[in-house]
Amino acid sequence: MADDLVLDTAIRNWVLVPLSVVMVLIGVLRYFVSKLIRSSQNPDTKAIKEGQAVIRARNLRSAAHLIPSKSFRSRRIYFTNEENGLLYVPKEEAQKAQAQMFQDPNMAMDMMKKNLSMIIPQTLTFAWVNFFFSGFVAAKIPFPLTPRFRSMLQNGIDLSTVDVSYVSSRSWYFLNLFGLRGFFSLILGEENATDDAQRMMQMSGGGFGFDPSKSLGAEKDSLDIIQHEWALPKMEHRAQDVLKNLAKKL
Amino acid sequence: MATQDKRSDTSDFPEIINTDNLQSNMKSIYYSRTFLSIIGGVIAGIWGFTGFTGFVFYFVVMLAASFGLAAKAKFSADSYFDSWNRVLLDGILGGLMSFVLFWTFAYDIVHIF
Repeated sequence: MADDLVLDTAIRNWVLVPLSVVMVLIGVLRYFVSKLIRSSQNPDTKAIKEGQAVIRARNLRSAAHLIPSKSFRSRRIYFTNEENGLLYVPKEEAQKAQAQMFQDPNMAMDMMKKNLSMIIPQTLTFAWVNFFFSGFVAAKIPFPLTPRFRSMLQNGIDLSTVDVSYVSSRSWYFLNLFGLRGFFSLILGEENATDDAQRMMQMSGGGFGFDPSKSLGAEKDSLDIIQHEWALPKMEHRAQDVLKNLAKKL
Repeated sequence: MATQDKRSDTSDFPEIINTDNLQSNMKSIYYSRTFLSIIGGVIAGIWGFTGFTGFVFYFVVMLAASFGLAAKAKFSADSYFDSWNRVLLDGILGGLMSFVLFWTFAYDIVHIF
């Protein structure tokens, strides 16, 4: 077989470009839809209170070296005090709160909505690609791959002598799926729900109010652990040095 | 693409870092690398690089980007970032996929028409 296939111009116009355009548009659509869905949430007072307490404790932890020891200690006692500290949750209440959270229908529905809005457009687009654009060579990737990739990349093409570089439209779909993430981050700003990896990290790391007792306990423990070291006493000397240098330059 | 200064205390043990500025600096690095990888992909496709040459071109572009970023940060990573690795290495693999996509696209449009 000739090494250099000449492909029809019509493939370019009617397969590659429309597929990319459709994926970009679906991504933009998904971004706006997720924004609309997210705005109809009724926040729970108790969960918000606990979440904010956790945030305050975290701020205290991260800025601990900027305040003198006594004030840090008094703030820490305010948080972790056994009787009325903000982060202290008695054991029975903790278990009750956990059971409630797991039965809470709102939380489950939100998770499901987010999952659906991510999975459904991908599935639909993939099915559409398979239905319409299968059975012919769609593109040539500029770099050679080992023959093991042949079955993955050349799905609709039944000739086995065609070079592995000539791929079907299914692989063009996957290439677009991964490659357009960077493009979306440029045109949609920072917060876009189109990046799967980022979404997974956000969902697992930001359980806001989903498990309040555990996070409170964790914050309390980490606050207890901190050893305070005040970084600022040397600041005066540093400021003095900087000012001296400036004065010399004048 | 303005990078913002953050105060960092190099003489003491705990480092004082303004996290907002650090994050905005990281974002500007990410945006510039993504943009450059897309443009680099289109250029590689138009010029007809194939195979290994294309990947070499991508890493050359990323090196130039790192050099430009380091120059913009006045070659002192301490005043803008918390470590040199962020300036030099962050975001390179993420841009690779965008590079390959636009490289394939441009190569096909221009050469296999």
